[in-house]
Amino acid sequence: MINYIIRRLLLAIPVLLGASFFVFWSIRWVPGDPAVAIAGELATPELIAQVREQLGLDEPVHVQFSMYLFRTFQGDMGKSVKTGVPVSSEIARRLPNTLQLAAASLVLSAIIGIPIGVFSATKPNSWFDGGSMTFALLGVSMPIFWLGLMLMIFFAVLLPKWLDLPGPVLPPTGSGTWKHMVMPTIALAANSMAIQARMTRACMLEVLRQDYIRTARAKGLIERLVIYRHAFRNALIPIVTVIGLQFGTLLGGAVLTETVFAWPGIGRLLVEAIGFRDYPVIQGAILVITVGFVLTNLLVDVLYAYLDPRVHYD
Amino acid sequence: MKQKTRLLIGVLVLLSLVLGACQPATPAPDDTPPPATPVPTDVPEPKTLTIVSGTDVEHFNIRRVTSSPSFSVLEHIYETLFYMDPEGNLEPLLAESIEAGEEDFSFLIKLRQGVQFTDGTPFNAEAVKINLDWILETEPAPVFAFLINRIEEVLIVDEYTVQLNLGSDFAPLAAHLSHGAIAMISPKALEQGEEWLNGNAVGTGPYVLENWQPDEAVTLARNPDYWGDAPAIDTVIFKVVKEDGARIVEIEAGTADVAVRIPPAEAGRLAANPNIDIIETPGLRTIYIFFNVTEEPFTDVRVRQAVNYAVDVEAIVRDLFEGAARVSDAPIAPAVFGYSAQPAYARDVEKAKALLADAGIPAGTTVVLYHPTGRYIQDALVADAVRAQIREIGLNVELRTLEWPQYVPKVRETKPDNEIQFAMLGWGTVTMDADYGLFALFHSSEHPPGFNGAFYDNPEVDRLLDEARVVLDPEARRQLYAEAIEIIWEDAPWLFLYSELQLTAVRSNVEGFIVHPDESLIATFADKR
Repeated sequence: MINYIIRRLLLAIPVLLGASFFVFWSIRWVPGDPAVAIAGELATPELIAQVREQLGLDEPVHVQFSMYLFRTFQGDMGKSVKTGVPVSSEIARRLPNTLQLAAASLVLSAIIGIPIGVFSATKPNSWFDGGSMTFALLGVSMPIFWLGLMLMIFFAVLLPKWLDLPGPVLPPTGSGTWKHMVMPTIALAANSMAIQARMTRACMLEVLRQDYIRTARAKGLIERLVIYRHAFRNALIPIVTVIGLQFGTLLGGAVLTETVFAWPGIGRLLVEAIGFRDYPVIQGAILVITVGFVLTNLLVDVLYAYLDPRVHYD
Repeated sequence: MKQKTRLLIGVLVLLSLVLGACQPATPAPDDTPPPATPVPTDVPEPKTLTIVSGTDVEHFNIRRVTSSPSFSVLEHIYETLFYMDPEGNLEPLLAESIEAGEEDFSFLIKLRQGVQFTDGTPFNAEAVKINLDWILETEPAPVFAFLINRIEEVLIVDEYTVQLNLGSDFAPLAAHLSHGAIAMISPKALEQGEEWLNGNAVGTGPYVLENWQPDEAVTLARNPDYWGDAPAIDTVIFKVVKEDGARIVEIEAGTADVAVRIPPAEAGRLAANPNIDIIETPGLRTIYIFFNVTEEPFTDVRVRQAVNYAVDVEAIVRDLFEGAARVSDAPIAPAVFGYSAQPAYARDVEKAKALLADAGIPAGTTVVLYHPTGRYIQDALVADAVRAQIREIGLNVELRTLEWPQYVPKVRETKPDNEIQFAMLGWGTVTMDADYGLFALFHSSEHPPGFNGAFYDNPEVDRLLDEARVVLDPEARRQLYAEAIEIIWEDAPWLFLYSELQLTAVRSNVEGFIVHPDESLIATFADKR
């Protein structure tokens, strides 16, 4: 297993190099020039040329890429061309926010979504099953953007008005306290929760039809043990895969949620940087997101072995 | 199984180490909003004013920023020699007066005494000379250096008087000195270099920089040693909330005191709320579509006039802006010195068709309209409305939509690469003087890469604009600009559209908050009941 993990970590190196290479070249193909964005719309062509020179953008792209790689290996991701702040500090400030939000929303969605899926599968076609799956369909279909604004209006405007409170129940935007996390977590969890509930239900239904479940029941095991020890554990592998993928995606930032709630995460940083053609920030953010994806996938693979004794990596 | 558990824990630790190793560089600000109405006690509660804005500052180097949200923040920290008030009156600020010197083309500026930068450096003639020389000599030149590039020499007359020697008279000099980019920075801070200035600010203004979390908030604290009247608000927070709907919730919930760029469709509903006032500020930014007068079919003035008659700007303002814009009756906005109203090109499709027929333009001729998206309010929708209305007179319009970073170089391309037929732009006359608004856009010396994208070239207009630069008598200048505007209006090198109105929501317990026509937000004179 340890060999497997080391092998996977070594394999991550070409993945990261490939991603860096792809991002570096592709953003330079996108029309638009950071020098224009920095110098401003009133800048003369001479000033724009000077800014390009200062940023090193007048060098051939392969030279720029070599310099970028050299600096990145030394731990220097460069500075934001917009703010002049080191990219590593920009990312360091936002990454904990992104991790917090991603983790909180996945925990919330798993706590609610998975039990709903299990219960629905044990009582298929019951009123609970129909109701919860309709609810899940709603969760998948509801735009996060809209849900976010509705939550904000409810907790910050309507509820204080109905309860005659002096201020909002929850602060509508920003970060820094647990209260700031509640609404973005709910908004983000709604979608994941719905997917997890539907996925769990489908997997459980399939497992519950297997012969070994019938055998377990035939030998007189109580239903709770049949469901949780024999069926649920085996249904978990695809569920864990989905949760892993969701976590990886959320590391890339929940751009809409972060924008609506002014949550300072990686996704918003990346979108802002793309709009400004802030090459160092785009490169740095995508590198970190790629690392996150690679590690999450590794964790999911290790979890397979933990959940299913038949899985061996040696 | 135990080994697997240990491995799992190991991978989790690895994941958390790699992803979670990074900690915030500085503690996150506690942006829990203060109560909208402070509870009265014996010791007055510190007052905080929270402004939610859609855009963050670029950085803190006031010489290099270009956006109005950046100037809004920085002009609380830095001050200029003169201040243009919202009514367009020029007032002394760090200067006390300006008058013509004894030598030709020289100006004497008397400075305010007893002023210090917040690092203790005295503000005096030497500081002014260091600042102006820095702007004129630094490479690459600051983008707004052109505002004062007629100054050839800055001389120290005595500790509180400087003499500016110019190559010719330049009437808008004081107005240009009122621009934020020409603000006074502590000479000691200038010595630290521009990289330092990007993240620090040392001025003479009523506030000092307390904290900046990029893309989150800028916090300003009252300058305890301010030379002028102390502001009533202790802390001003400029909080970045990009989403319009979220800014509206903030102002409705009372977690923000001021919300900027309110969508016109929401203004009426918010105004009905007894706790919220809506401030409507006529902007200095004029939105227009320039015709390339060197490209067919717009070489003919009749075609340009026809397009002006074809487009119903009233309808655009009514339907796309809910009335929150002003139909242009001059190439500059009314608040700008030198403005004079012209008779509107009221919509007249028959007249437009007749003008096109006179010019020999066959029905079905195709023209290409370039426009940006997301730069100006409703810009893409306006371009589409213009396209639909022009089609009624027999011109087919193809739209070319570009993002702003691509768009600017496109409209500034020089001949022969420039392929623009007509294109949308906006121009804010931030010095509130017609020179800034007319010279750059209509003088023949300003063809691309300058901003006279129309390649407009009228010797009489050139003469009037040149003369208005050097005549010092305001009334004479006003007359010269009136004549130039009349000719420009008749020549129609633009499709004249509208100037934007800024809609700002302010909690009704806030008094004295100023939304300047140049889009600056001024909290210095504000107070909270």
